[in-house]
Amino acid sequence: MFKAPRFRSIAGLALVGAVALSLSACSASGGGDDKAGDGKDLTTIGFVAVGPEGGWRTANEKNIQDSFSEENGFELKYAPATNGDQNSQITAFTSFIDEDVDAILLSATEATGWESILERAKEAEIPVVLLDRGIEPNDTKLYTSHIAPDNVGISASAAEWANEQFPDGGNYVVLEGPPGLSVVNDRNKGWDEKIDSKLTKLESQSANWSTEEAKSVFETILKANNNNVQLVFAQNDEMGLGAALAVEEAGLKPGTDVKIITIDGTKAALEALAAGRLSFVAEYNPLFGDTAIDVVNKAIAGDKVESDIVVPSVTFDSPEAATTALPDRKY
Amino acid sequence: MSNPPSGAASFVKTSVKQPYIWAIAALVLLLIINLIKDPSYLGISVNAVTGDLSGNLIDILRASAPIMMIAVGMTLVIATRGIDLSVGSVMAVSGAVSMEFMHDAGDGSLGSALMAIALALGISAFLGLINGVLVSIVGLQPFITTLIMMLAGRGLAKVITSGQNTSASNEFFRWIANGTVLGFPVVFVIGAVIVALVALLVRRSALGLMIESIGINPKAARMAGIRPVGLLIFVYILSAVLAGVAGIFSTASVMTVEVAKTGFSSEMDAILAVVIGGTSLAGGKFSLTGSVIGALLIATLDKTIVFLAIPSSATPAFKAIVIVAICLLQSQRVRALFSQRRARTSTPRKEAVSA
Repeated sequence: MFKAPRFRSIAGLALVGAVALSLSACSASGGGDDKAGDGKDLTTIGFVAVGPEGGWRTANEKNIQDSFSEENGFELKYAPATNGDQNSQITAFTSFIDEDVDAILLSATEATGWESILERAKEAEIPVVLLDRGIEPNDTKLYTSHIAPDNVGISASAAEWANEQFPDGGNYVVLEGPPGLSVVNDRNKGWDEKIDSKLTKLESQSANWSTEEAKSVFETILKANNNNVQLVFAQNDEMGLGAALAVEEAGLKPGTDVKIITIDGTKAALEALAAGRLSFVAEYNPLFGDTAIDVVNKAIAGDKVESDIVVPSVTFDSPEAATTALPDRKY
Repeated sequence: MSNPPSGAASFVKTSVKQPYIWAIAALVLLLIINLIKDPSYLGISVNAVTGDLSGNLIDILRASAPIMMIAVGMTLVIATRGIDLSVGSVMAVSGAVSMEFMHDAGDGSLGSALMAIALALGISAFLGLINGVLVSIVGLQPFITTLIMMLAGRGLAKVITSGQNTSASNEFFRWIANGTVLGFPVVFVIGAVIVALVALLVRRSALGLMIESIGINPKAARMAGIRPVGLLIFVYILSAVLAGVAGIFSTASVMTVEVAKTGFSSEMDAILAVVIGGTSLAGGKFSLTGSVIGALLIATLDKTIVFLAIPSSATPAFKAIVIVAICLLQSQRVRALFSQRRARTSTPRKEAVSA
């Protein structure tokens, strides 16, 4: 009696282990052996990714996957996080170290808690390239390079646009992502540094990057302030679109009564900008696969790589600009 | 309950004894706090542009509808000593199915909206059936079964929309979440009708009693001739279908399904609403009224946080404090302490405590 459940739990653990091993074994044997005939060895890359999250993330991860293709001489192992959980990322990262891949790409779901695992990668002499999301504390010795668009700069440019639009001041609301993310901190930082003191911040609320939540939050904010809100700074496109819905529901006109700024520049947002429902969209360029390839190649060859690489991004401030950009928008 | 009802007085009398009286008190308190901040908080006006009624109360009713749906389903599941962690993911699946269908149909007609709803509820029911069969016939733990369904469901939603947030336009579907009927939000009206139907079904038949008996003592229930298999499958299907309705409600409000966000951690809201409503997680006796009040309280709490402009970093703490306070006030010991203080002769009411 006593043994049975215990045995079962051990058997269960063993089973899980076996499945995990066989899975990683599968992916490990996939490229190297098959391609040996080409006379050219593929470089194995482990990609610890965030997984489906929104339009921006999908575009970014697809671009990375497409760039690190077999034609370009890479074998990419894609490991998305389970429901944005950092633990699952650390597990994937560890198994990449154990497999001794040639390089690891990391888009961290959480900024903190990466020191010890990055230390291990360093001991194993595996270069780590951070994509998009940075780590905190930002110790540049722990990784090779951090490639990302400049969050602080992008939100600063949004703030400058707002200053131009409202020379006499006004009331504004910030819709931010989940507290604690480096993206959120950086986007707040750039905005707060540049925004004119004539503009009054009524409230800063998290809407968890979600359209639905942003709509619910903003309808209440409008009521709490008797519709006296002139500007919304939404830290991603989805939340900005939610705010636009709330504005329409309150019987106001987004773009005229309430101006909405969003960051990311997905297709949906540019369409809304072209239709006049959003007022300003700052792109957060997700397409930096080529830069990443360049950095990884240099790092493997042992060349010096800059520790912080900024991906250039543009801004769209009018329906016309959006209409021109829309036809060849990739995400 | 025990003495013959004599109008409002007896209703108040029985309500005061209910564990959810503290939830009602908290609800009133939150509304009062909002009123102090803005005396016109409870005012309802007609929006000049859209012609709909608008006001904070309307918003609260609207926001509470999806939580109400999943909370009612969760109550019945919990009453059988189970738990359904998959409701949030089922919401996402239901939303994904309906949005994807209407996006492909593309005609925005009433027919495609109804078809989308039928399809979404059908798939939800199927997911519930899997849960129910695994729990009742295979005998897996409800926690594990629905945890698997929670992960698989979200994966399924991502597969359906190929990982993209999908939008569609359909006037009828949009109206479900954003329109009003006789001044009340449509979602709330539909929600209330569904809750009333479920309540009728379980309370006017022996169904509720049988569900409680499984939760209180499954062995004794079986010996008394109650067959748990069918009942368990029924509650899991009902919970999933209600989650499907909630998914329709929440995606219809923005006409977009966000595969990673729709219904995310909604299972926690549902469980919270059930607990606030006074149903024990150990199973047994349940209160649908309590869960509905719990859902209203959660919606009010969310709205109050925004209305009072509490900084976003402090919102989880604020929410936690309110909920801990309610749970404390509801606990047997604290309540016993109160009644002793009042030097009542009556012994504290005993609840069906199992395990």
